[in-house]
Amino acid sequence: MPAWRSLSNFDWILFLAILAACSIGLVVIYSATTGTPSAGAFHRQLIWLLLGIVLMLLAVLIDYHTLAEFASAFYGLSLTLLLLTLVYGRVVNSSKSWLGIGGVQFQPSEIAKVSTILMLAAYLGRERVRGLGVLHFAAICAIIGLPVLLILRQPDLGTAGTFMPLYAGAVFIGGIRVRTLVILALIATLALPMVWGHLKPYQKERVKTFLEPTRDPKGSGYQLIQSLIAVGSGGIFGKGFLSGTQGSLQFLPEQHTDFVFAVLAEERGFIGAMLALGLYFVIIYRCLATARAARDRLGVFLAIGVVCTFAGQALLNIGVVVGMLPTTGVPLPLMSYGGSSLASTLLGMGLVLNVWMRRLVN
Amino acid sequence: MAFEQDYKGFQDYYEARRLNTRIQVIQVLFGAVLVLYLFAFWYLQVVKVDYYKRLSDNNRLRRVTLMPLRGVISDDEHRVLANSRIAFNIRLDREKVADMKAFFPRLAEILGVPEKTLNERLARYRGRPAFEPVILKEDVDLAEAAYIESRRLELPMLSVEVESRRNYLYGALAAHALGYVGEVSEDQIRSDPSGEFDLGEIVGKAGVEKQYDGDLKGVKGWKQVVVNSLGREIQEIEEGRKPNPGRAMRLSIDLDLQRALEDAYGDDAGSAVFLDPNSGAIMAMISRPAYDPNVFAHRFSQDTWGGLVNDPRHPLQDRVSLSKFAPGSVFKVVMSIAALEENVATPARGDHCTGSWRFGEKVYQCWAVRKGGHGYLTMREAIIQSCNIYFYHLGNDMGIDRISKWAHLLGFGEPTGLDLPHEEAGTVPDPEWKKRAVPRDPVWHPGETISVSIGQGAIEVTPIQMARFAAAIGNGGTLYRPHLLLSREVREGVEEEERQDYVERRVPMRPRTLEVIKDAMWGVVNEDGTGGRAKIAGRDICAKTGTAQVFKASRDVDADKLPKEKRDHAWFVGFAPKDDPKIAWAVFVQNGGHGGTTAAPIARLVLERFFQKLDARQGGQQLASVAVPQ
Repeated sequence: MPAWRSLSNFDWILFLAILAACSIGLVVIYSATTGTPSAGAFHRQLIWLLLGIVLMLLAVLIDYHTLAEFASAFYGLSLTLLLLTLVYGRVVNSSKSWLGIGGVQFQPSEIAKVSTILMLAAYLGRERVRGLGVLHFAAICAIIGLPVLLILRQPDLGTAGTFMPLYAGAVFIGGIRVRTLVILALIATLALPMVWGHLKPYQKERVKTFLEPTRDPKGSGYQLIQSLIAVGSGGIFGKGFLSGTQGSLQFLPEQHTDFVFAVLAEERGFIGAMLALGLYFVIIYRCLATARAARDRLGVFLAIGVVCTFAGQALLNIGVVVGMLPTTGVPLPLMSYGGSSLASTLLGMGLVLNVWMRRLVN
Repeated sequence: MAFEQDYKGFQDYYEARRLNTRIQVIQVLFGAVLVLYLFAFWYLQVVKVDYYKRLSDNNRLRRVTLMPLRGVISDDEHRVLANSRIAFNIRLDREKVADMKAFFPRLAEILGVPEKTLNERLARYRGRPAFEPVILKEDVDLAEAAYIESRRLELPMLSVEVESRRNYLYGALAAHALGYVGEVSEDQIRSDPSGEFDLGEIVGKAGVEKQYDGDLKGVKGWKQVVVNSLGREIQEIEEGRKPNPGRAMRLSIDLDLQRALEDAYGDDAGSAVFLDPNSGAIMAMISRPAYDPNVFAHRFSQDTWGGLVNDPRHPLQDRVSLSKFAPGSVFKVVMSIAALEENVATPARGDHCTGSWRFGEKVYQCWAVRKGGHGYLTMREAIIQSCNIYFYHLGNDMGIDRISKWAHLLGFGEPTGLDLPHEEAGTVPDPEWKKRAVPRDPVWHPGETISVSIGQGAIEVTPIQMARFAAAIGNGGTLYRPHLLLSREVREGVEEEERQDYVERRVPMRPRTLEVIKDAMWGVVNEDGTGGRAKIAGRDICAKTGTAQVFKASRDVDADKLPKEKRDHAWFVGFAPKDDPKIAWAVFVQNGGHGGTTAAPIARLVLERFFQKLDARQGGQQLASVAVPQ
């Protein structure tokens, strides 16, 4: 079926909600960085947004079944890029997660996110993979595990962590038995102390600080406290555009990346925060609706993969901002400053729009 | 297409329902978390909004203290002794230097400061925020400040800071009276309950600067500024309160007299104080060795400061009120008053001095032993000649209790109440005191009474006590509280005289006693006595010399050939003129030898200046009264 004929079935609500979230993000980035050393962020983000929209539309136009045919190729390319990153990557904040090609710096881990979703959907979408056997389970682990291991080598625990919701979503929708789920949950609980033993000191510090933020107000608890101050001092109506003090006076670190929602809440208040939260609600629900309406298993798993990654990241990020989760360093998709993340999220959303547009069997 | 065949849609109804259910589970899960966040935002932004607003303001608003100008200290004629002046410091903005190492040689050349010194100064700021400027050179002259200012384009990293700095116009002059200022110590900040002190605040550390710090320092002002997380000032948002300058203080010190004293006093250690016998107002005081209080105003004066603290000659010690010494023969005046008042002797009491006196197993000597003693003496002659034997006998007759009683009555063994931060009380010994102070040998021996009788042994006095004592004899028996403060500014330009009653107490003495003592002290200076070198014709100077033994030399050793630190301390204590005295003093020269030789000439030079000024003033008054038309 030609692409233009499907346009009548385009999900305008999801599309507009995405654009709205990106625009809000741009405005907040502008306000949070004006007068600070990161003042150039707005323009760079705008360029990445335009590029991301082009990528998204490309992902919409090509039938997702066609894309799925090349899933292995994309997946292989991503793994190669991740390997290259480990060798030639640029070190930022003591982790090698950036790769430069022709003067453009990007994070291959963000590309890997989309290609892993595609690869996973292609695998699980096959008719014969119905009901989750041990072999299928192992295959899912392998598909997700490969990029995760490479990302962990960078090391970038935060980004590696964003693959976990994808994993959980794939296994759950893939048909894991409830009994198995309970057993896995038990094993995870028992393994927790072991994981704790393998965490790096700064990671332990983050968890401890989350449990008791005033323990070290100038150190690791600082971000958490400053984020709460930013959100709380916003009140109902907020301090207004360019009038937030926590971000622009640099009390709140990462004000335009990981804590962009805190700046939004400070400047736009409870009302602004609810509006943004509402947009995320709409985006997540439209994606889930797409998963339910999808015409085949491939479509279901594409939408599920995208929404689990997206929602997992968004809820994790906002949870940190309101002090309900420990600091993780996960950006807020669509709003946080960061070109690779924005482009990869838009690409993923393109896949969901694609599935919705082609939901009807004709 | 290969994939089209693989994905055939849902053939199994149950499979489709199961998928649907599981997606709904995810839907509910995500929805629940979003609702949870909604409540979190509601709690933070609606319920706790005031709490977080306050925290946010505390974050960005900083109170900046504005330091007031310190009050001016002037002499009795409003001549400024200490004020605040503008000082220029050269600062370096480290953020504007890309390569510090490469810049350093040039910087050293521009400032004329060795690279090593610059490095040390820079090292002090390690760990401070980078925007905080480094003071590289303090207190430069106007020409250098202008040089740096005019090259701002070429040297954007250097700037000139204007600072108010305490300035003692005459350097070491009256250093121990004025004291000095310095940065408030951490102990002081910690022990101050009001929490008034700021870090780096300048406070009085000694002398008048410390005593009247509360008035001199003024009232701090403040302003509020918006700062960023690095503490850099972004903007000023409120005027706040302007600082109130410190009050001006007028001291009773007279610059002319003080200068005369500074010039007259040699290089010896010691001290001298001249005061008004009718009020206790101190007109001049000196303590040597002295220091220049200006050096404490510098930041980079650690070496100088350490040098002053560790100097074995203790230049920081105020020898007027903080050091106690044996009074020597000056104490014979106390002995005479006690004997007359206690009716132990009459002025006519005669005694024979043969140069030595055996008491118990010990032989006590008179200083005139080599010429065979003073022969026959009355009390007046004994004071004039400062005969030891006469007072040995008198002391022996009187006993230590009556001696100690009169020493106390005349103001010894207690602080005088001088308006300086610390004061030494001195020691007036008696059997009770010995029991407490010397547990090894708690019994009072009769021989100790003999030593005290000529101002030796355990008795110790401060020069300020001596001056007050001399004043009391001159003024008829009133002990005044010595003081430096004459008046202080209450409002700008409005001065208020101190209306304190400086009378400490009146010593009950018969007029006849005072007459005898004054007459004898007049004789010391004017009748070929030990104080002859202080004689000024027509001024009726009354005084007593004292030579306090430090080292007991054998009879054959020539006192002048003893090493300096073993020589006697010299005293010259008195008042003038005899009737209606206008000035009283104590001059003390540590290891100065004979009081009459070393101390008396110092007093004479100061007194000459004093009477010169007094005559000029009275002459002026007479001229004025003549000039007024009737």
